[in-house]
Amino acid sequence: YEELKNGKWLTDLAYFLSALQHSSGMSKDMIPGPYPKTPEERAAAAKKYNLRVEDYEPYPDNGEGFGDYPKLPDKSQHERDPWYNWDHPDLRRNWGEPIHWDFDMLTRNRVDMSPSPVSWSSMCKQLFGFIGFMLFMFYLGEKFPSYQPVAPKQYPYNDLYLERGGDPEKQPEEVKNYEI
Amino acid sequence: MAEYRETPLAERPKTLDPNEYFNVSLEKRGAEEARAAFRANLKRQYQMQLNNPHRKELIEDPALTNWVQARGNIYPHFRPTQRTSMFGLAFGVVPLFFFYYVFKTTRDWKEERIRSGTDTQKYRLTS
Repeated sequence: YEELKNGKWLTDLAYFLSALQHSSGMSKDMIPGPYPKTPEERAAAAKKYNLRVEDYEPYPDNGEGFGDYPKLPDKSQHERDPWYNWDHPDLRRNWGEPIHWDFDMLTRNRVDMSPSPVSWSSMCKQLFGFIGFMLFMFYLGEKFPSYQPVAPKQYPYNDLYLERGGDPEKQPEEVKNYEI
Repeated sequence: MAEYRETPLAERPKTLDPNEYFNVSLEKRGAEEARAAFRANLKRQYQMQLNNPHRKELIEDPALTNWVQARGNIYPHFRPTQRTSMFGLAFGVVPLFFFYYVFKTTRDWKEERIRSGTDTQKYRLTS
């Protein structure tokens, strides 16, 4: 009844009901808290996320809604050791390990941020160089077409006068398709 | 032995990092040990739950719950700053006007062409 008298009894009731339905209580603690400002808050947040206090680094507080969620290094799951005995081998992750914010992007089916054998600038130059060159050449080909010289087809017998249904009595006009 | 060359996108793998083997200070070793202790503790918790013959329910992963709650509850910690307002404008407001103008003008051109009879494409797959 003390809690009922408290102003936020409705939110408490809501959390309680949701905990009942989801059968995994303590969901209120699991929501990320605000950005940690004092060292004690940092220590508490590091403990919550199973990280060392020195390793814990929250996202910068610029209002983007991260709260105190830790900022883990941007490494995709492709880079993790395939031979280690992970708890979840397909995800290359152990149980309880803090999850990167973009974890669903970094799974092995999706974005691969592993190091590339050639540098980024070299890759960009090669790809865009090739595409740019091909586009430029196609543009030139449109502008200056080059093909065998062609002319309209020339038919014999005065442009096939009889075959096209011309009057056999009448004399057709002479069609000269050549010049000597 | 082949000399591994680092490039901007290819970082040195941990097993080839000489700092793993030489110049290992006590603090670094302590840090690694602490991390390994964390990992071992989590592994132990998981294995105890996994191999518990009396367990009837799913093993709940608190890190997963944290992540899901964090991704779902962005608004409570959202603050309208200059940066976030810029994002909101760029992705929420500008496309409306931009696409309105693009579609309107191109379709007006087409309408003009059709009305004046200069439209050369008789058959269209999309219209």
